[in-house]
Amino acid sequence: MVSKDHEGKVYPPYQVRPDRTMGLQYAQALGLAALPARPPLTYLIFLRGETQGVDLFGDLDIPRHQALHGGQRYEWFAPVEWDDALEVRVRIDRVLEKNSKTGPLWFVDASFDYHHAQSGVLAVREVTRLIKRGAP
Amino acid sequence: MKTGEVLFQVRVPGSSRETIALFSQATQDPNPIHIDDAFALRCGFAQVIQQGPMTTAHFARLLAEYCGADQLRSLDVSFSAPVFPLEDLDLRATVEQVEDGVVLLALVAQKADGTVTAKGQAQVALHQR
Repeated sequence: MVSKDHEGKVYPPYQVRPDRTMGLQYAQALGLAALPARPPLTYLIFLRGETQGVDLFGDLDIPRHQALHGGQRYEWFAPVEWDDALEVRVRIDRVLEKNSKTGPLWFVDASFDYHHAQSGVLAVREVTRLIKRGAP
Repeated sequence: MKTGEVLFQVRVPGSSRETIALFSQATQDPNPIHIDDAFALRCGFAQVIQQGPMTTAHFARLLAEYCGADQLRSLDVSFSAPVFPLEDLDLRATVEQVEDGVVLLALVAQKADGTVTAKGQAQVALHQR
């Protein structure tokens, strides 16, 4: 189950490349007609790690029906272009338990650092905040 | 930009179920809560819900439009209430502080009935890197 023991866990790095097909779907979902010149600023998202072995929900024992997405933080350091190879380094930064009227809540912050694979330059940092609540 | 100035207040039309499903596809989000009413009900919601990251994405898109993508330094959004299909959202960015060439913006996303669905902050640089 989710616990403080998960704090500091680092996953093996994986690679992603911003993909034009998914980029167009992303743009269309936002009401844009055409593929933008560069990947949308928030195109890089933690969910893409699930197909690369970073299964936060599974590893932290957060069943989907008990999961809430608390929020996201992005920091941008360098541009990212379509098809750029990016190495993603993932770390569970913080696990916090709080009591609520409906039972315990767990707050998990995980950071995803997207580095240009060739140069090693950090381009984007995403912190996602997940919440595990009691069964509804 | 001056403290208190509203940089933008934009109504984002509600997303259809198809659009919400498309966003799931585009973000490789396997969570059935965005596409399956029965699952959403099991989670305590009356119907499927829109992804929080779609609100983040709209804020990022608008900030890029108003300030330039290369000027954006950070964006932090916290989700506070579910958004259901076809619910319009008003997205507002207000200047909170201008210091050392960086503008700090307060962000709010609100439904037509006044429910705040997300709050956040963004930092935008006034000058090129």
